[in-house]
Formats: sequence, C-alpha cells, structure tokens
Amino acid sequence: MFNSFSQAQSTMVNEAVEAPVEVKRHASIHREQTDTVGEITVANPRMTCRNVDVFYSGSQAIYNVSLDIGKNEVVSMIGPSGCGKSTFLRCLNRMNDTIDGCMVTGAIKIDGQDIYKKSMDVVPLRAQVGMVFQKPNPFPKSLYENVAYGPRIHGIADNKEHLDHIVETSLKRAGLWEEAKDRMDQPGTGLSGGQQQRLCIARAIAVEPEVILMDEPCSALDPIATARIEELIDELRENYTIAIVTHSMQQAARVSQRTAYFHLGKLIEVGETEQIFSQPKHKLTEDYITGRFG
Amino acid sequence: MNSSVNNRHKAQERVRDGLKVRYRAERRFQFYGKLAIGLGLLFLSMLFFSILSKGLPAFQQTYMELEVTFERQYVDPKGDGSEESLAAGDYGGLVKQTLRNRFSDVKNRREKRALYSIVSTGAAFQLRDMVMSNPELVGNTVRVWVPADDELDMLLKGHTTELERHAGSGIASLVSGDGEIKLLSTSNDFTNILQDLKRMLAKSARQSERKLKRLRDNLADAEKSLLQLEEGILKAQSKQPQNAARIRVLEEKLADAKVSIDSYKEKAAQEEMIFSDLQQRADTPGGVERLNSEMPSYLVFVNGGLVKLTSVSNTQATGRALTQLESMHEAQAGEWEILEFETPQTARRLKDNALAWAWDLKQKGQIEKRFNTTFFTAGDSREPELAGIWGAAVGSLYTLVVTLLLSFPIGVAAAVYLEEYAPKNRWTDLIEVNINNLAAVPSIVFGLLGLAVFINFFGLPRSAPLVGGLVLTLMTLPTIIIASRAALKSVPPSIREAALGVGASRIQMMTHHVLPLALPGMLTGTIIGMAQALGETAPLLMIGMVAFIVDIPGGFTDPAAVLPVQIYLWADSPERAFVERTSAAIMVLLSFLIMMNILAVFLRKKFERRW
Amino acid sequence: MNEMTSGHTVSAYNDELKHINQLVEQLGELGRDQLRRAVLSLREGDTKAAGQVIDRDRDLNDLDVQADEAVIHLIAKRQPMGKDLRDILTVQKVVSELERVGDEARKVANLTIHFYDQDKNPPNGQMLLDIYKMADFVDCMLHKSLEAFKQLDLKKSLDVIKEDDNLYEEYRAALRRLSTYVMEDSRNVGCMVDVTLTLRALERIGGHAKNIAGHVIYLVTARDVRHESLATIRAEVLAADPN
Repeated sequence: MFNSFSQAQSTMVNEAVEAPVEVKRHASIHREQTDTVGEITVANPRMTCRNVDVFYSGSQAIYNVSLDIGKNEVVSMIGPSGCGKSTFLRCLNRMNDTIDGCMVTGAIKIDGQDIYKKSMDVVPLRAQVGMVFQKPNPFPKSLYENVAYGPRIHGIADNKEHLDHIVETSLKRAGLWEEAKDRMDQPGTGLSGGQQQRLCIARAIAVEPEVILMDEPCSALDPIATARIEELIDELRENYTIAIVTHSMQQAARVSQRTAYFHLGKLIEVGETEQIFSQPKHKLTEDYITGRFG
Repeated sequence: MNSSVNNRHKAQERVRDGLKVRYRAERRFQFYGKLAIGLGLLFLSMLFFSILSKGLPAFQQTYMELEVTFERQYVDPKGDGSEESLAAGDYGGLVKQTLRNRFSDVKNRREKRALYSIVSTGAAFQLRDMVMSNPELVGNTVRVWVPADDELDMLLKGHTTELERHAGSGIASLVSGDGEIKLLSTSNDFTNILQDLKRMLAKSARQSERKLKRLRDNLADAEKSLLQLEEGILKAQSKQPQNAARIRVLEEKLADAKVSIDSYKEKAAQEEMIFSDLQQRADTPGGVERLNSEMPSYLVFVNGGLVKLTSVSNTQATGRALTQLESMHEAQAGEWEILEFETPQTARRLKDNALAWAWDLKQKGQIEKRFNTTFFTAGDSREPELAGIWGAAVGSLYTLVVTLLLSFPIGVAAAVYLEEYAPKNRWTDLIEVNINNLAAVPSIVFGLLGLAVFINFFGLPRSAPLVGGLVLTLMTLPTIIIASRAALKSVPPSIREAALGVGASRIQMMTHHVLPLALPGMLTGTIIGMAQALGETAPLLMIGMVAFIVDIPGGFTDPAAVLPVQIYLWADSPERAFVERTSAAIMVLLSFLIMMNILAVFLRKKFERRW
Repeated sequence: MNEMTSGHTVSAYNDELKHINQLVEQLGELGRDQLRRAVLSLREGDTKAAGQVIDRDRDLNDLDVQADEAVIHLIAKRQPMGKDLRDILTVQKVVSELERVGDEARKVANLTIHFYDQDKNPPNGQMLLDIYKMADFVDCMLHKSLEAFKQLDLKKSLDVIKEDDNLYEEYRAALRRLSTYVMEDSRNVGCMVDVTLTLRALERIGGHAKNIAGHVIYLVTARDVRHESLATIRAEVLAADPN
C-alpha cells in the first residue's frame, strides 16, 4: 500500500470483507480476483472494468474495482460521500483526464476496446460515453444551440434539416419537446432546474452515445422534477446503457437494475438492486442502506 | 430545569445589555464609512472644480480683426506673383505694417515693439496661408481675424489685472497742451484716485518715518561710540603716553566716526524733508498729486480715446493720450469713464499702452472671444495661443494602437496558456509569481528597459509611438494577463465539463464556451490596462517622448508626444496661458479615460452572460 | 433492545423500531396469557374466567391494530431498507400470527362456556386430558418462538419448527384416542366434536408459533423458509449460524 493512512483504511475494509457468508454460492465460475461481494459480471456487458485503481497525485482514491455494465441496464452506484463512486464514474469516459495528477490503472473497456490505451482518442470516446452532471449545466446559449452543439462539433448532421431532426428527437426523448418547442431560441439557462437537467440529457443523447453516465443528476432538483428524470431514465434504458451515481438510495432502488456499493474507494458489494436493498450480504452495505452510518 | 431557565434568562439579559454597545459600534462604523466616502467625494469634486475652473477658459481664444492690405512689397518680394515668391514674403512685416496703420499715433520704437506684441506670431502664418491659397489677394485689402497674443488673451479673460470702471459724474472739459491733456470735471470725479494716492502717500510716509527713526538711532549710536573713543584717547594719553601707535589708531577711528555722524545727519535731514513732505501731502486733502507706475493705472476713456492719467487733483487730472481722441469737445456726465487697472504697470507684462489698444479694439468690436479650434487641431507650440493637443492625441492614439495590438493577443494567449494548458509545476509557479510582481514594478523601469532594448539594442527611433507602444505593452501585459486569468477562472467548471462531456476537444471547449464567457472580463482588464497606459508618463520620458514636437505625427515611427507628457510639458511652461491649457488638456485626458471606462462597463454589461 | 433496533444515525428511528418490537412482546405475552387462562377455565369449568378471556381478546385486537399502524407509519416515514425492512415486515407478520393465536384462545374459551354453561352434562374429564397436554406443549412452542424473535435466535426457531412435527403427531394421537371414546359410547360424539375443534385450535396455535419461527429465520437470514422442508431450513440456519 502507499501510505499508512490508506493501509489503515484497507485493513479496515478487509476485516469487514471477511464478515459475509455464502460468498461462494453467488460467485460465478469466471470470478475475477476481487474482494467484492456479489456478481460483478453480466451476461452481455457494454463496459467492463477490471482491477481499476485511481490515484490523485500519489494518494489512492479507488482500490481494485472490477465491474461490468450491461447493455440496456441501469447500474447505480451508491455509497457515502468520498467513497470514490463519482471518481469511478468519471473514469468511464476519461473525465478525470482534466484533473492534474490523476492516474488510472487497470482495464476499462467499452465493447472490448480499452479506453485508456494510447490510440484511444477521448473526443470520440466522450461522444460514445455521454455524461450528465450533478448541477444542470446548460451552455448559456439557446435551447437549440445547446442540443445542436454536440452533433455540430462531431459533424453528425448532414444538413440543417437533419440537425433540426436530431434536436427534435433528442428533446422528445428527453421529454422536453413539449415545453421547449416554442422557445427554442431562448437561453437554456432560463429553464427551471428540472428542465435544465432534461436539456442536459437531451444534449448528451443528441450525439447518440452508447452509455450515459449520470453523476447525481437529481441532487439539485425538487421531488417532482426528480420523478420526471427517473421516469426518463427508465425510458432511456431501452436504447442506452446508463450508469448513475446517486446519494438517494430510494432513487437507486427505483431506477436501477443493479446496484454497486462503494466504501472508501472499494467496491464492497454489487448485486441486483432488489437484493441489495432487501437483503444485502455485506455488513457495510447493510449498515449504509439502513442508515446506520454515512 | 429551573437553573437552565435562570441561565437562559441571564444570558438574554446579557445580550440586551450588550445590544447598545453593539449598535453604537455599528453606527460608528457606518459613520466612518460615510465620512470616508464623503471626504473622497469632496476631494474629487475639488479636483474637478479646480480643473474645470482653470481649464474651461482655454476652450475660448481671443481673436482680433485686422484690416490687412496685402501690399505687393511685403507679400511678393520678387514681384512675379509666383508661388515661390509668395512663400518668401515678409508676412511678419505685413502684420506690423497693418498694426502701424491701425494705430497710427504710435511713433517711438519701444511703443511699436509693444504694439507688435499684441498679435500672435501665428498671424503672419495665417496671412501667408491665405495668400498661398488665394494669390488674388495680393494688392487687395481684406478684413482678417487673427489670434491675439496670449498675454492679451489673458488680459481679456481677466487673469492679468482687474478692471474697475467708474463713470464720470461731472461734465469733463479737455484742454490739450505740451503733449498733455488736462481733464477738468465739474464734479469730484478724481477724488477717489486722489484718496487712493493719499493712502499710498501715508503709507510711504510711514515707511519714511521708520527709516528716519532708524537713521536717528544709528546717529545716536555713532555719537555714543564717538564719546567712548574720545574718552579712550584721553585715558591712553594719560596712562601710556609712550604708546603713540595705539593713540594713532584710536584717532583714526575717531575721525571715521565723525565722518559717519556727518553722513547720518545729512541722510536724516534729507529723510526728514521727504517725510514731512509726504506727511503733509498725505494729510492735506486736495492738491495735485502725481501718479507713478507702482500704483494702479488710471485711464480715462473720453471722446473715443484713452488718456493715461499722470497727475490728479479732486476735480482735474492731467494725462497723456494713449489712443487718439476723436475730438476735444466737452464730455457729458456718463459719457466718459475712468478705468482703473488695479495691478501696477510694473507688475504686469502688458503695459498701459497695450491695454489702451486692446480697449480701443474692443470698443470698435474688433476683438472677440471665439471657440478655440486651434487647441483641438494644432500640435504643440511655444506660443500658447497656437498650441493644441491634436498632436499629442494622435501620438497617444498611435501608441495605444501599438499597445493594444500587441498586449491584447499576447496577454490573452498567455493567460489562456497559463490557466488552461500549463502544467502546474515549479516553473509555472515561478512564472506566475513573476507576472504578478511585474504588475508592481515602477513604470519608469519599463522605460529604462525600453531605452536599453528597443532603442539602443534594436535601434528603433526615439520619441516614436512604436517604441512607446512597445514599452507600454510591457507595462500593461501583467494587468491584462492577471485580469484575463481571473476572467477565465471565473468561468464555472460546469461549463467546461459540459463541453468536454459532449465530446468537445480542449480547444473547442476554449473557443466555443470558455473564451466567450471570459471575454467581458478580459476586455475590461484590457481597457483598464489601456487606460493605465494612456495615463502613463514615466516610461515614455525615458524613451524620449518628452521632446517638443510641433508636427502632428503621421505614422508609428514619427516623433510624437502623448497626452500626459503634453500635460507635463505645459505644466512646466512659465506662460500664464499654459496654465489653463494644462487644465484643459487634463480635461481632455480625463474625458478619454472616462470614456474608456464607460466602454469597459458597457462591454461587460453587454456581453456578460448568466449561467 | 437488540442489534435490529439500534445503531441508526437517526435515534428516533431506533425508538420507533424498539416500540414496535415491544408491541410484539406485549402481544406475545397477552396471547400466551389468553391461551393459559382459556385452558385453565376449561380445566376448572370456570365459565366466568372464560368470559373474561373472550372480553380480553378485544385488547389483543386493539394492540394488533396499533402495531399495524405503527408499521405503516414507519414505512411511510423512514422508507426502511435491508434488515430494517425485514424487521418491520416480520413484526407485521408476527403480530398477525399472534392476533390469530388470540383468536384460537378465544375458541378454547368459547368451548369452556359451551361445556359448562346451561344445564348440560359436563363432558367426560378423560376426553379433555389431551387438551391440557397439548396446551402445555403449544404454550412451550409459542414461548420459544417469541424468545427466538426477541433474541434473533436461529436455533430456537429451528427447534420450534422441528417441534411442530411432534405437535402434529401429538394431535393425530389425541384424535385417535378421542375416536376410541366415541366407539365406547356414541353419546360422546357431540363432546368429541367440540374437543376435536379445541385440539384443532391448539394445533393452529402451534402452527402460528412455527410461522413466527419461520419469520425469525427470514428476519435473520433474509431467506423465506415458510414453505421449505425442514432439511432445507436446517441447512439455511447452519449456513447463517454454524454454531
């Protein structure tokens, strides 16, 4: 380990990891070398992460995380603040590249391609793996420009009509079309928080990504707006693979099919959402979801 | 439970007790704040008042009308009417001739010189330009408005002397003789002058009295020392008769003392006569008193001419005509007046005769104040009435253009690189610290650098806007870089993430999103830097932009001055008229600065976008 | 009280969980008391005591409603997850089991009144012996299952489930014995039906005790074992608690 602090953390987690029973029964034959409880693999993965470590200027933020994200599946990542779930999420489209001193080791593959290999360009990667952020962050431009920006820079649209079509379908898919169609030239920043977030989702899906990463997309929204986003996530699942980080366990329970519980940079437990929230196998997961710490 | 209630009660009491002190402290603080703002506003308004009151008159300039006959002998020395010949004409002589014609009674050389000086030297150039553009003028007589000399301008703006006018209350009859004119008034019109004179006499008498007293004291002292010497000689003779040498010395001194006593006595007697004369003249009312040049000048305007008084009594005065009187008829009450110029003739540059000419011109409507277009269209000049700020303004413009063209792109590029691309390591930290420190370097140091590098090493021309712009670029770069970095920093990271998240490359993120949002801040920083550069003098002094440059610069390498340097130069000039031009130039500079700041605010407001 | 109801960041949550667990205990105590009193009234032919048992069933029902309401409020307010969710659901189920235990006790009390009221002949004492024996057995089971719930004791739960088989054997034996009485004297038929119903009630109480034990196993291991065979349950329990 790298310093005494992380060592202390890791031993603590290791002790806790020894606690659960019946690990073998749930483990698959292809099980990787990991301390995670539950099934990290899925039958048809879109993204596979193996033994991912993340370091920030020497200190380790993520420890040996392996996780698959299946096609047309919503994976939610929960855990107390600072557990590394957002960091892990940002590894999936290399958003961490912008942070100085950030180093990622291990393998993260999308459709079998390693996204961290030298020949991988982040620009097409980010078109492939879109992202929605915690705070709604529309560009201070018109609604149309917001959605059209991605297709435009990637040269997706053949002509103006095509671009209009992309904007329209994206907004429709994001459930914003009815509200937005009469005010396309108004600034995106003038919308309500929930509408802004749906605009951001429309912007993300306008470039036809395969995976959408959502980093606490509802944490700045009221319950009704949250419900609309959740409904939207459920609809989007048909066409996209979604990984969502959330602080709300109820939200994770509602929108996701699989849930991963992170703790101090480690992936403690992964499993079917129903199982995680009714009968978690790991003591830390149990304590977290029942509100006993965190 | 009970004790907790008690405690709470006590705590609330304490809070109430402390409230008064707290509120008082708050009010005190507010008062200090208001006081500080009030003082600031007061000083600012004083500054503006001072500059406006001094500078506003500079926008007006006195012009006089001359009836110029373009005589061939002056205008066309070769007599062939060729351009060459016309250009070589003696226009100064023409102006002088015109003036002599206008004031035909001016005869002696000294007076003529004084007469020539009331017209600006620019008049000759103006006439020359007229003839050059229209050669048909030769031989014709035209009325031309030419700028008056700055001293005359100052006089008419009331800066030289104060004028008091007293209308004559009696009927004035004039008698001429011996080159003098005697004015007799049926009323005590000259009493005031006489009283002023008497006051002056009384004052002189007191001075004389003091002098007399001093002389008498000296006399008494001398007599005392004489006695002592005599005693000393006696003593010496009785005690040491053999010491002849000493006795001789003493006797010599005695003789000296006697001489000085005599001279003191003589001086005292003279002074006493002067004193008694003054005393008597001061005490007795009436009588005839002579005026002198230590006193205010009194000119009588009668029958269209001016008479300078040389002596007055209560009802009559004697004087010399400065401008020709139309007639020697009697003047009714109210038709003549006494002009009192309070500053004595010795204390001003325009003498009484010039005053009289000016008065004459004014009476005939041949002098007037006009808007001073020269000030806005001309370059610098030694003559205040011909000096303008256009040359300095153009110089400033060229300098700022160079500064802007260099410092904005370089500054923004440096800021973008440092903020977005540079790795965070010891080198970039060092660079950052140095940039911040550069902003605090005294500007004259940049001037030295410019002198050493641009002029001495690269051999660029001195006094040129190009070099000035380069130096000012060095000076404004840190300001622009710091402001631009702050503007870039203030762009929320969420916008960057949003752009990167949809797959924008780094440069697309910068150019599409970050720069447009940071631009208002960058522009503000740039304009503030430009305003700073516009007002900068010190570094330009080092690269020779302090030279006296008359021509309007025509390019980036022409010698030029800039506005603040022009102000500095004018402030250094002794002429009275440059004082108001200095203030006027400050006003122009300030209005430029205010305009630039307004532009900055406007740009920020216009392009500022909320997110 | 136990690890189920402690350790939450929100201490009011602890208190509320404790409260519903206490309600279960109260209900358990009350149910057992009802059973014992009902059987005692039968043994002593005390119709008055039997009437009291019937009256007290209302208290039991009140407690049942109260517990249900508390559970609903908890779910609405806290959105329980994991073992809290299981705890609350288990409480709800255990409460309804106990309520039914109360109902069965009332049936026994009704029988007392039926036997000893009016001027009918009292039943043959011999026929009732099996009732007392089974009542003791059932009471023991109920006690054990409540203990298991209280202590989250898988072993005790397993014991209860095992004993349910014995109880059934006991019940079948008692029925066989009763049939011999009817063969002896056919007039005993009316009495026999009543006794059979009582035995049936007691057997049901045993069944409820077994269900409670099953809920406890679900609570602890998160495995629903209600419809599993004893061997499976035993394996499950052993997996969760090897001791």
